[in-house]
Amino acid sequence: MTENNTNDNNEAEGPAPERVVGTPKAGEGVVSGTSAAPESGHEGPYKASETHARPEEMQRRGEKIASVWFVLAFLGGIGFLASYFVFGPEAIADPQIAQYSNMLLGGTLTLAMFGIGAGMTVWARQVMPHYEVASPYDELPSDEQEKGSFGAFFMRSADESGFTKRPLMRRTLILAMLPLGLAPIVLLRDTGPLPGGKLKNTVWEPGLRMYVEGTHRAIRADDFEDDPNAMISALPAIDDEDHPHGISLDEQAKSVVLLIKIPEDEWEERMTEEIEGTDGVTRLNWTHNGIIAYSKICTHVGCPAALYERTTHRILCPCHQSTFDAANAAEVVFGPAHRPLPQLPISVDDEGYLIATGDFTQPPGPTFWDYAKD
Amino acid sequence: MSKTTQAPKALRGVGNFIDDRFHLAKTGEKNLRKVFPNHWSFMLGEIALYSFIILLLTGVFLTLWFKPSMVEVIYDGSYERLQGVPMSEAYASTLYIDFEVRGGFLVRQIHHWSALIFVASLVVHMLRVFFTGAFRKPREINWLIGVAIFVLAMLEGLFGYSLPDDLPSGMGVRILQGVMLALPLVGPYISMFLFGGEFPGEDIITRLYMLHVLAIPALLLGLIVAHIMILWHQKHTQYPGKGHTDKTVVGTPMFPAFAVKAGGFFFFTFAVTAGLSAFVQVNPIHLFGPFTPTSITSGLQPDWYMGFMEGSLRIFPNWFDLTLFGYAIPTAVLVPGLVVPGLVFGGLAAWPFVEQWITGDKRAHNVVDRPRNAPTRTGVGAAGVTFYGVLWLAGANDILSETFSIDLYLTTYIFRVLAIVGPIVAFLVAKRICLGLQRRDRETLEHGYESGTIQQLPSGEFIEVHKRNSEETAHVLKSKPTITSTALADDADVDDKGVENPEARKGTGKIRRALAHWYTKDNVPFDDVEEHSGHHLHHSAPEGEKEAAH
Amino acid sequence: MKWITARRRHPLAGYVVVILALALFGVGYAALAPTADQARAQTLAADAPSQDDVDVLEGKEVFDQTCATCHNYDGSGTANGPDIRGVGPAAVNFQVSTGRMPSMDPDSQMPRKPMAMSEQDLQNLIAYYNAEIRTDDLGPDIPYDVPDEAPDRSEFEDEAAYEAAVEEYQTEYEAYIEGAEDTDMGMRLYLTNCAHCHGWSGGGGALTDGRWAPEIHAASPRQIYEAMVSGPGAMPMFSDGVIEPEEKQELISYVKTLQSEPDAGGIFALERVGQVAEGFIAWVVGLSLIIACAIWITAKQRAHD
Repeated sequence: MTENNTNDNNEAEGPAPERVVGTPKAGEGVVSGTSAAPESGHEGPYKASETHARPEEMQRRGEKIASVWFVLAFLGGIGFLASYFVFGPEAIADPQIAQYSNMLLGGTLTLAMFGIGAGMTVWARQVMPHYEVASPYDELPSDEQEKGSFGAFFMRSADESGFTKRPLMRRTLILAMLPLGLAPIVLLRDTGPLPGGKLKNTVWEPGLRMYVEGTHRAIRADDFEDDPNAMISALPAIDDEDHPHGISLDEQAKSVVLLIKIPEDEWEERMTEEIEGTDGVTRLNWTHNGIIAYSKICTHVGCPAALYERTTHRILCPCHQSTFDAANAAEVVFGPAHRPLPQLPISVDDEGYLIATGDFTQPPGPTFWDYAKD
Repeated sequence: MSKTTQAPKALRGVGNFIDDRFHLAKTGEKNLRKVFPNHWSFMLGEIALYSFIILLLTGVFLTLWFKPSMVEVIYDGSYERLQGVPMSEAYASTLYIDFEVRGGFLVRQIHHWSALIFVASLVVHMLRVFFTGAFRKPREINWLIGVAIFVLAMLEGLFGYSLPDDLPSGMGVRILQGVMLALPLVGPYISMFLFGGEFPGEDIITRLYMLHVLAIPALLLGLIVAHIMILWHQKHTQYPGKGHTDKTVVGTPMFPAFAVKAGGFFFFTFAVTAGLSAFVQVNPIHLFGPFTPTSITSGLQPDWYMGFMEGSLRIFPNWFDLTLFGYAIPTAVLVPGLVVPGLVFGGLAAWPFVEQWITGDKRAHNVVDRPRNAPTRTGVGAAGVTFYGVLWLAGANDILSETFSIDLYLTTYIFRVLAIVGPIVAFLVAKRICLGLQRRDRETLEHGYESGTIQQLPSGEFIEVHKRNSEETAHVLKSKPTITSTALADDADVDDKGVENPEARKGTGKIRRALAHWYTKDNVPFDDVEEHSGHHLHHSAPEGEKEAAH
Repeated sequence: MKWITARRRHPLAGYVVVILALALFGVGYAALAPTADQARAQTLAADAPSQDDVDVLEGKEVFDQTCATCHNYDGSGTANGPDIRGVGPAAVNFQVSTGRMPSMDPDSQMPRKPMAMSEQDLQNLIAYYNAEIRTDDLGPDIPYDVPDEAPDRSEFEDEAAYEAAVEEYQTEYEAYIEGAEDTDMGMRLYLTNCAHCHGWSGGGGALTDGRWAPEIHAASPRQIYEAMVSGPGAMPMFSDGVIEPEEKQELISYVKTLQSEPDAGGIFALERVGQVAEGFIAWVVGLSLIIACAIWITAKQRAHD
């Protein structure tokens, strides 16, 4: 960061003195205009000693170079305008044409912009004199007299206005402001509903079948027959005409489940423990034929946690790498998640379709402070 | 150069018209004569300014077609691959800009690249100001404005990233909502109010759009104008050099030279941004597909400036999560979501005042420090940069894990350790480097520079000839300020009348003295240096490595 | 969309049923889309290699030489390799055709490599596997109606035969890809079941314990299909019951179409890595170039230049 400049146009001949980083090159503190007009004839806006005019030869060359850049920029600008009409609005719907159009428009625009920038730089560096103008910083604090005068004026005026002398008026004015200060907060009340039970309940209910996500095909337990290590994302089997995927995005965000099939001998101890508050029900009771349903939404901050490794039974969330053990009640085994993924109790109906037998064991989605309260 | 003494008639007419109404001749000349010191690192802030202008221009263009609506439509536009796919109007209208508006794709890419460069240039500008101590009195307020601009720019970027409603952008909003929900007591309410109901609802893009195109840009514009006006009023700082003092600024005058250079720089900034946008694809939302709350991709990332937040969410473990009376307090969300940005931005905002409190330095500074000459500050800066950098890298740990074939969990453990150890090591290393550079400066000052010429002495010994420093170099080296603190002055505990200062015995007084000691103790003194005259040939002079007594 | 999902299939999905389903799909598609003659022809023509084309004995030789060391001579597995009697020919075809088997280091995950044997050897090996190793027709069969990799020049004697095979392959490939018609279904299936590991464009991603989900750009539709039904490595299985063959066609078509689409935003697509690469470029290229311009503008120079 402290390197002063790396683009000197001309190094001194012979061995250059070693320069201390952050300091100007030795011997170039003063840029002297060797061929500049003698000081007596100086008519520039700044002092002659602060103005280092470029030699005439250099100015002439600079003018030429700058003009070449400006002409290039002009051509770039013309090219940009022309490029706009090369491909019609119908043509750019094809990604390949869109790419050509983008590169043509962008390339010519770049040329136009760069040409102007380069031309102006050459102008400033080779045609215009180099200035080293000294100018005073303003004294920042006002002097004591000015400050004193201002202070006296301000307090006398305030006193005269009565603001300091008449407390009743002052206090009632402040009182009058108070409710107005609250008004914006009150006005924002209707930006949304109160949470109520919305974060805690989903559309899952006993007997509701499930669709393979992306289709409207209800899935049956037998569909897993060939598949000892299956995994599939599923949604409630609801067909609401208003929504292309049957239910609203709000409901999808809460009710999406990951169906996983785990071979019988691979379940772990938490699965057979009695669930608190039930009469001997275990998590295994909520599975069917090795198929278990977990909420797909991570309990950390709500990404879909669906990176399932069948060999380790880990469900990994690709956002922040919370890891849940699918074979052990989705306990958190790594990462920042607060609690296991909620489980959806499932069974099959008379026709063999997988169904929910209730809502999730806990509210799905990111953990909030009262998720565990009814 | 032809000498023009009188302006052309048309120009005079305009000038007179304005002056008749505003009385500007004197002010105008004064401002056109304003002097700007010449150094590339003084132009970093300009990159941010120009990027902001590019963002405004391209942003206005994009609003002509963008529809901030979450109404679900079946896409029937001309981009063939996604025809028939249900998506929000926001996403569909972005596809329209990309594939049905000529130049739309380019402008959207310029907008995105420019945003990335805008925040990046804010960071390097801020680092330049920090490491050179340019935030010191009288510029503390401008520093605070700068911190505010940085925070707002991040939010502005995050909200803009969320607008097209593509797969990663929606997931960014989801994470924002997840962090919000974790707030004790108020979380669910804030989330419900912001989203107009549950996630994702039907309002969030409309609301973010308002924030992105109106509220935050208006604030940013106001702050940027204030930032520049304060700069203009106080004039720019300068590096040490001959004639550069706290009273006098030396540099290029606004008119004609600086105006042309700065103007040219705007075009350069635009050219680089346009060049990237022409050839390097950025945020291809048409390939990601529309957002659904149930889909996700591996390697999901926010734009780079949110990377440190993402990283802290990834590496902060759930070991400190609490459950109080059945209520959950997920510290693994709250600490990365609130404490880490609080530390980063709060630390930035507080530093000028902390440093002033430690040193008791109430003088106005217009000549900035060379970073080596304030080793403790430089060390603290390096520690901050490392902390931020580690979190930032941690935000890409899955990409790093895949690219370099490192175990994913191992990267998390490494970053957890680095986030704590890294800043400490960086502090020590940066400070040591500073002191080493100070020693070299002292040597250069004492013995001149190594000329590279080897001479053989009559005794047969070979030596390298040291030559006298240039006036400029000697001046810069000698300008090194001595770092002191009023807390360490002999009479700090005793006031003018010989009465012991009760403050000094209190806790804060003790802390201040300890900090002052820490801040000033390591320093290579230059007071006793005898400058190299150029007449004698030093080759193995004793090292001037005494550290300041304290 | 619903006419597909409304149909139910017998749960005991066997080879014949798969072919029948695809044939029905092909016919149905052809009826809907008059231009799809080729599609039907290809769908119906695709078939397993006939008994005359393969040599079980040669297959045994290949198996004994390259597989038996780890998987044992009867496929029952050893300490170095699992029991493969029930994995099915789809798994064999996937592992061998993607070069993952034979593996040099059975303890680590195998990256995709060129196939270690000739196409004919593989056919013989599969014939032997089906005849002698496989137990009770367990495991998924090879989806012969899904296009595999493009023909390799070295498998052909003369240029004309090669070119004819390439043309035939391309027709088959396009028919399969274009046979999909529900982008939304394919996209949803891919993004909800595959993208969290393999990424939105099939670029791959990190898993736990040093494993990774491979990138699937080079994978042929048939290999993707086989990976889904056989679940190689840590990948879960997506049998034809869970995701039906025509749904798989939608899914595969989605990702293959996405992968082959030119990058509209410019020739440098940063490997489609996304935001990390973009941030890197913004700093290393964008900001650096602008600063280089600043250095040019402010560089000191001597007047006599």
